[in-house]
Formats: sequence, structure tokens, C-alpha cells
Amino acid sequence: MKSISELTDFYYKTFYPVLQTLEEGGIYKYLIKDYTFQFKNAIIEPLIQEIDKNLSYIPNSHVAQKNFTRAKIFITKPDRFRGNDYIRGKIDGITIELSDLHAEKKHKDSKGRTNWSTIFQGLFIICEFNKHFKSNTVILPDSVQNTFGSFIGNWLQSNNISRSELVKMDNPEFEREFVVYSDDQIEARYILTHTLMHKLLHFKKKSQHPLYISFLGGKIYMAIKYNKDLFEPSIFHSLLKYKIAMEYIQTLHLTLGIVQELQLNQKLWSKR
Amino acid sequence: MSTPVIILIVLAIVLILMYNSLIAKKNQVENIFSSVDTLLKKRYDLIPNLVASVSKYMKHEKSILEDITKLRSEANKSNLSDKEKIDLDKKMSSALGSIMIAVENYPQLKANENVLHLQHSLNEVEAQISAARRAYNQAVTDYNNAIEQIPTNFMANMMRYMRKDVFEISEDERKNVNVKELFNQ
Repeated sequence: MKSISELTDFYYKTFYPVLQTLEEGGIYKYLIKDYTFQFKNAIIEPLIQEIDKNLSYIPNSHVAQKNFTRAKIFITKPDRFRGNDYIRGKIDGITIELSDLHAEKKHKDSKGRTNWSTIFQGLFIICEFNKHFKSNTVILPDSVQNTFGSFIGNWLQSNNISRSELVKMDNPEFEREFVVYSDDQIEARYILTHTLMHKLLHFKKKSQHPLYISFLGGKIYMAIKYNKDLFEPSIFHSLLKYKIAMEYIQTLHLTLGIVQELQLNQKLWSKR
Repeated sequence: MSTPVIILIVLAIVLILMYNSLIAKKNQVENIFSSVDTLLKKRYDLIPNLVASVSKYMKHEKSILEDITKLRSEANKSNLSDKEKIDLDKKMSSALGSIMIAVENYPQLKANENVLHLQHSLNEVEAQISAARRAYNQAVTDYNNAIEQIPTNFMANMMRYMRKDVFEISEDERKNVNVKELFNQ
């Protein structure tokens, strides 16, 4: 995988001219429906190809709803499920798929009006995991312990009926950031080694967004909450600006870099 | 209902809850220890095969190999206490560790398919044992906390519950692997 600086180089050398012509139409171009499509074809797709040739990109597709539900990260069943920017393929021989997702729940108020509340909006990543396991382990951001302190927080977490057993981890920093539920105390720790906990903390710090993880059926499911649709051309900011361009590159690099970051390509004997 | 009766009922409920939580914690420790035990057995089962494959080549490590065989036969005794099992596991881990390092000095062994396979199986069992140890330690910590903290300590005293030992996790195991450091050595 290429480094951020290599990608930045690529962005400016290859895209700058394309972007200039794309943006030449002034404000009116944003009124044309094709702009988003053009933008994705001309910018996002080559950028992904540049990161890794084995990746394919489908702008109008997304991760299937059954995968989202199966992961059991969000228990509320979505009534509306949308998404775009679907990327799938192999990085270092590890199967990965991801997309933007927006899952919503329908509410009816007393006057019969319909409201929608967001269950999750952000990036959803599914990736092959390098260990065998049979149980389901879910890692969520720890909001309860931060609010109520560790004593009451722990008690509340261990009595959460919608989740399986609470797993207390032996890394204090990890415990502060996350809460772990699993139906197998030992397997949860088999998956979450000290090294992996350390890497997940590092990833969380780098992404600076709430991180939800589930381990199920030999796969890792990750949801990064951005609360906005990513990889869309913005009406108010030109992509010729360094900051905006860097944001695109960094988000892509971060998510696709997950395989290397978590060293999912280092397989154990039994999985070879 | 009169006040004393209500107080009595509440007291009874509190006592029952305390009693049950102590029993649950004790059972959790036993439950996880039985998993640790299964995994330790799985590792002991790999040992005869390992000793047989490496002893032909290893000349300087005879004493470690003998130790390993001795430890294994000790571990197979049926009347071991949990504490003895924990101690045996500690010795076994360090003996196996030194054998694995020694393998690096024998090119014939490093190229041997059978040894390689054993090495990987051992690594995997080792990873599972390490996870089980951590789970056991957490269960024991919860249990020890309960028998020492107010108010459950009074009841634990009456039930004659004793503190349990945790597995000591060696510093090497805790550390994140730092490849750079390995090269600097």
C-alpha cells in the first residue's frame, strides 16, 4: 500500500488538471446531476486504484443490510438502510469490503407525523480475521463508565440485558475507551491480545471518531461513526484546496490501511 | 405489614443476593479453570511428539528435554491442586520457551516439516492458554475482591472462602512485540 505522501503526490500530479476542468463550470455545475457521478469516476475511483490495484469501486452500491444486522453492533433494527461508495477486493491477500452506510429508525409522534432517527452513519468495514473463533465478541465505545465512573459503570454494564456477558479487559487504557461483551470469556481474550488492544487504541486515536467492532464467524466488522456521508463532492469547498484533498486521502488511507494496521495478514498456522 | 417484618424481608433478600453472587463468582473461577486445564492438557499431549522429533538432533539440551518429560509426567498425576497446576504450567512454559529458542540453532530442525508443524501448533495452544490465563485471573480478581470487600467479606468469612492465586503473567508476555528491538539485540 502507498503512503500518504505518495498519494498526495499522485493527487496533485494526476488530478489537479482534471479537477480544474471539472470545477471550471463555476457554481452552476453543482446544479447538474452528473457532477457527483463525474467526480466519483474521475477522482475517487483512480485514487482507490492507486492505493491498491486489487480493489474495485462501485459508487452506487453498499454493504448488504444482512451483514450490518448480523454483526450485532447495533441492536435496533433499521427501517431505512442506505449507503454508497462500495469498495471491495483484496489487500495483501485479505478480503475486505467497506462502504458508507446510513441506517435509520422510523418514529411516529402523537400527531402521526413520521420522524427518522439515525442508528448509524459512517463507514462500515468487513474484513477477514486471522484467527479461528466460534463466539461473538462486540466492542463498543465506553460511554457509561465515563459518565458514571468505574464502579457504578461496571455494575450497569454487567447488567445490560440486551448484550451477552461483560468481559473486563486487563488493559486499563482499553477499558477506559471501550466496553467488551462476549459469549465466551476465553475466546474474547484469545482475539483481543495485548497487541491487538494496543493497535485498536492506536487506530481509534488516529481516526478520532467513535469506533464499534464485532468479531463473528472468522470476520471483523468495524463501524466508524462519522455522522456524515463521506467521499461526496462538496458544494462549498473546492477540491483544489489542500486541506479538503488531504481529508479524502487520509480517510481512504486510514480505512484501507486497517489490514496492515491490525496485521490481519499475519495468519496463524491453522488458518493457512 | 409492620416495619420490623419489612426490614427482615429486605435483609433476607440482601443476604440471598450476597450469597448468590459469591457462589456465582466461585463457580466462574472453577469453570474457567477447567478450560485452562483442558488447554494445558492439549499442550501436554503435544510434548511426547516434540521431544521425539527434536531429541535426535539436540545434543546440548538433553537436560531441558528430560525436565520437560518429567514435568509432563508430574502434570499427569490425578490429585493435583489448582496451585500445583499453576506452578507446573509456569515451569513448563519457560522450559518449552528455551527449547523453541534452541531449535533456531539447528538448521536440520528448522527445515523439518514435522517440527515446524509442532512449533506452530504449540504457538497456537500457547496463545489460547494465555487467553485462558487472563480470563482466569480476571475471575479470580473478581472473586478475591468479593471476599475482601465490605459487605460480602462477612459472608465469605462464614462460608470459609479463601483467597485464590492468580497466574503470574511474565513480563515478556505482557509486552507488545517490538520487531525493531529484536534486531537491536
